[in-house]
Parts: sequence; structure tokens; C-alpha cells
Amino acid sequence: MLALELLISGILLGGLYALMACGLNLIFGVMRVINFAHGDILAVGALATVSIVAGQALPYWVALIVVPLGTALLGFLIQVVIIRRIIDQPMIMSLLATYAISTILVNAAILIWGGGFHGLPGVLAGSIPFLGVNVSIARLASFAVAMGVSLAVWWMLERTRFGRAVRSVSQAPELALISGISIDQIRNLTFALGAGMAGLAGVLLAPTFASDPQLGARFIVKAFAVIIVGGMGSYPGALLAALLLGVLEVYGGFWFGQVIATALLYLVMLAVLLVRPRGLLGVGVRV
Amino acid sequence: MSFTLLFAVVAAAITAVLPFVATDYIISFTVQLFIFVALGYSWNLIGGYAGYPHFGQVTFFGTGAYVGALLMLNTGMHWLPAALLSGLAGIVLAVPLGGAMLRLKGPFFAIGMFGIARVLEALAMGLDGITDGGTGLYLPPMRDLRPIYFVLAGLAFAMFLGTYWLDNSRLGLKLLAIREDEVAADALGIQTTKLKVLTFITSAIVPAIVGSLYATYLSFIDPPTAFFPATELTTIAIVLLGGMGTVLGPLVGAVLLSVVNELLWSRFPEIYLGLVGVLIIFAVLYMPRGLVSLAVKQRWMPSGRASFRRHAELHKDAAAHG
Repeated sequence: MLALELLISGILLGGLYALMACGLNLIFGVMRVINFAHGDILAVGALATVSIVAGQALPYWVALIVVPLGTALLGFLIQVVIIRRIIDQPMIMSLLATYAISTILVNAAILIWGGGFHGLPGVLAGSIPFLGVNVSIARLASFAVAMGVSLAVWWMLERTRFGRAVRSVSQAPELALISGISIDQIRNLTFALGAGMAGLAGVLLAPTFASDPQLGARFIVKAFAVIIVGGMGSYPGALLAALLLGVLEVYGGFWFGQVIATALLYLVMLAVLLVRPRGLLGVGVRV
Repeated sequence: MSFTLLFAVVAAAITAVLPFVATDYIISFTVQLFIFVALGYSWNLIGGYAGYPHFGQVTFFGTGAYVGALLMLNTGMHWLPAALLSGLAGIVLAVPLGGAMLRLKGPFFAIGMFGIARVLEALAMGLDGITDGGTGLYLPPMRDLRPIYFVLAGLAFAMFLGTYWLDNSRLGLKLLAIREDEVAADALGIQTTKLKVLTFITSAIVPAIVGSLYATYLSFIDPPTAFFPATELTTIAIVLLGGMGTVLGPLVGAVLLSVVNELLWSRFPEIYLGLVGVLIIFAVLYMPRGLVSLAVKQRWMPSGRASFRRHAELHKDAAAHG
């Protein structure tokens, strides 16, 4: 029974990692930019949710709509003001820029919300029996939304006209351009979409996690491990790895404590790098 | 004698005299400057020359701080051998890390190292039987800063001279070839993997030693201090602003950032991180090759590598006489 409880808890956690890692993977796939500030956009989303629900006493669903739109706008601005101007330079320049954006966001979050932890007690409280185990409603709902959005974005990439344009820009930008696709526009929208997904992940974790301005650093590290284990640039790989690592973290945390659990994720990542550098479902992207 | 070496001699003379005439405030400012110079030059080796920048130098800084502090506390060792053993610990840690992490390219390597630093910080916090966790370790305070001042000065100068030598050597050219085009460098017969890993290991030694000396200097260490993200950020800003892969860049950047640090950190500590972030974005957008390259462009400094200039001079003479 305990093993089943931990398994369910791990899969529910993995859903949030999936949403976050898929946004990161999407931006990387289309722009060859690693958005180091991705975790901090998530942290800003979580803290903004606390302000909206606990501070302004507005219902949770308001945050669920407003915050992802807000972070998408933030991502759009980051892309248009900074990233667009250095996209043709070596990858490391855009990485340094997003690293700097990350520290600015952390600093801004500390100024706005203070350095401490904020929770959202009472939102989606209670639990329901599921397969004979009591599962928190907040976690079940956030898993459902996170996986739903991740799968919807995957479907959109594979099946819609916009998705085809996104994939063509990621695979052959020059050919996409001569086929009449506006590369700039696709990149702006992709960055906004990725940032919106990070913001949504923030809204979803606000009721179950204590949020603080440093939350981003802890999450970017895990999202990064997910992408490496799943395979860089592979959407299904990231989904699978997110669930696996979520389960691993919960089991590790239960048996060895939270500190060792985080280290365990990294050990798995190092092992994957040594044994199978392209990841579980990766196709071996050359960077 | 070249401009760079002349500069080094003058700086060495000032460094030697300074602690006997300056106030404690100036000495402690200079100690921090030397720390930044040593960290900047170390990061410049792997980030600037080999073209593998990363966000995990505090891994070695923090490990060195803890190894040094634990050696001093548990064995009563003097701070100098403790610092040297910390450097050894840096090597021991860098060998497996380099072997595994350098399989990652560019940005993946950079973020992977960031993760390693965060994991070690969590371990320092979690293994409280050894490290006392968040309480931190307290060391006997230093009454006289001068011995540590001279050791740090020596490290800073050694890194500067080492970089000067590297910049004029075949090894330096090989590293730059890896940075510009790793596949082409491999095709030319350069042992890219071996050189990358060796450069990474070399760049880990001094940060570990400096970490141990920093713990001695503060006479205190806890996980947030040892693995402080601002140490990482400042080091990267130093090298980026000064000029990645240049001999003078980290020095210029370190002097600039130390002054900025002194002006801002004391007055606006709450927005220090954000301001350094703004500086980095400014550098990335408007002068990605740093101040030193800008000075060369404006002809305030001679261009090119000293060894190439010597060759050019030789050929000019030969052409004139022939």
C-alpha cells in the first residue's frame, strides 16, 4: 500500500516536471536557446498566484487564467527586447543573457515578495480515495491540468498548421523562411508559449508547495535533468523522463531524505550521460 | 619587454609594499580583489580559452572552503597546508565531473555544472553530522591578514602569468581551436576530449584553494556562503566584461567589478544581484568580446597575440633586408 501511495505521489509530481520541461524543450528546439530563466518564470508565476488568491482574495481560477497570460507576455518581452538581438551569436551568449535575466527576476521577486516562503492553504483542500489511496485534490487537479496542457501542446506541434511551422523553423530555418513562414513571429510565439507553460506550472504548484524567490533554481535543475534523461529535443522523451524522475524523487525522498533524493536525480542524470548520452528517447541532437 | 609583462612587474611591486603602508580597509579590499582575480582567471581557462563556460565554479570554491575548514577544525592543521589539500580535493572532484559532464556540449554543460553546485550545497546542508548543516563552521579568527594577503596575491599573479604563458603557447592555440570549431580541431589531430578535461581540472584547483583561504579569512563557513550564487555571477561578469579568452580581460573585469561591488554592495545590497545581471546583459548585447577587445579596436592596446607580433616583426625585418 505504501509503495502504491509513493508511486501515485511520484507520478503526480512528475506531471508538473513534465509541463515545465516541455516548455523548456520547446524553446530549445525552435530557437536553440536554453532559457535559464525558465525556473524563475515559474517562481514568479507561483508567487503571483499567492498574491492573487491570498492577497487579493480572488478565486483560484482567476490566477489560472491571468498568470500564464502574464508570464507569456513576460516571455514575449524577453524574446523581443533581448534574445532576438543575439539569436545569431554563439549559443553561449543567449545562455549568459538568460542567466542574467534569471538573477534579475530572482532579485525582483525578493524585492516584491520578500525572501521567505509563501503557501496557499485551503485552496483545493481535502482528498479523495483513488485506487484505495487517499490523494490530495490539489495535486490530482494540478497533475490533470499539467498533463492535459503538455499533451495538448504535443498534439498541436504534430497536427496543426502552427505546429508544422514551429517544427519546420526548428529543423531548417532557411527552408522555413523561403516557404513563407515568418521565423521571427514563430520564435516570438514559441518563447511566449514556453514561458506561459512555465507560469502555468507555477500556478499549479502554488497550492501544494511552499513558494519562495529561490524556487526557480531548484526547479530548473530538475527540469534540466528531465531533459537530459529523456533526450534533448524529444517531446515524448521529456514526458516519460518527467514521470520517471518524479517517482524516483518521491521514493528517494521517502527512504533517504530530500537532500539525497535531489542528489539521486543528478546521479541518474550522470549515469545516463555516461551510458547513453542521447537519453532514453533522444535522437542524438548535435548542438 | 612587452606591455603586459611591464604591467605585471609594476603591479607586483605595488602589491609587495601595500600591506605595510595601507589601512586595514584597503588590505581587505585588495584581498577580495585578489580572490576575484584568481577566480576570474581560473574560469577564463575553461570558459574563455576552451570555450566551455559554465555556472558551477562555486562547486570547487565551496568544496575547497569545506575541506579546508574541516581539516583545520578536526586535525588542527595550519591554514596553508589545509588550503593546498583543498586544491587536491578540487582535483579529485574535477576528474570524475570533467569526464562525465564534458560529454555535454555548450549550454548543457553550463547548466549541468550549475546543478552540480546546487546538489553539493544541498549535501553540505544535509550532511549535518559532518558540516553542522545550516549552523555553519566557526574557525579561530585571523589577527593578521598579511600572510593570507600574500598567498592570495601569489595565486592571482600565478594565474595571470600562467594565462600569459598559455596565450603565447601552442597549447593555447589548441584550446582556441576547440572553442572556435571542435569538429575541425578534432580533424586536425588535436586531442579535444583530453585537453578539455585537463583544462577543466586545472581550472578547478585554484578556486578550491581560494575557497579554503576565504573560509580562513572569514573564519566562518556555511552552505549559503560557500556556494553563494553571487560569487558565481560576479566571476562570470568579470570575465565577460573584461574579455573572455584574453590575458588582461579578467584583471580589468576584476578591478571594475571590485569597485562596483564596493560602491553597490555596501549601499544597495538588496539590488546587487539584479544590477550585476543588468551589467551582464549590457555586455552580451553591446560588447560580447569585452573591454580589452574594445581597447584593441580603438588602438589603445596593441592587437593580436604577442608571439604573432614577434613573428610579424621578424618577417618585416627579413623582407626589408632581403
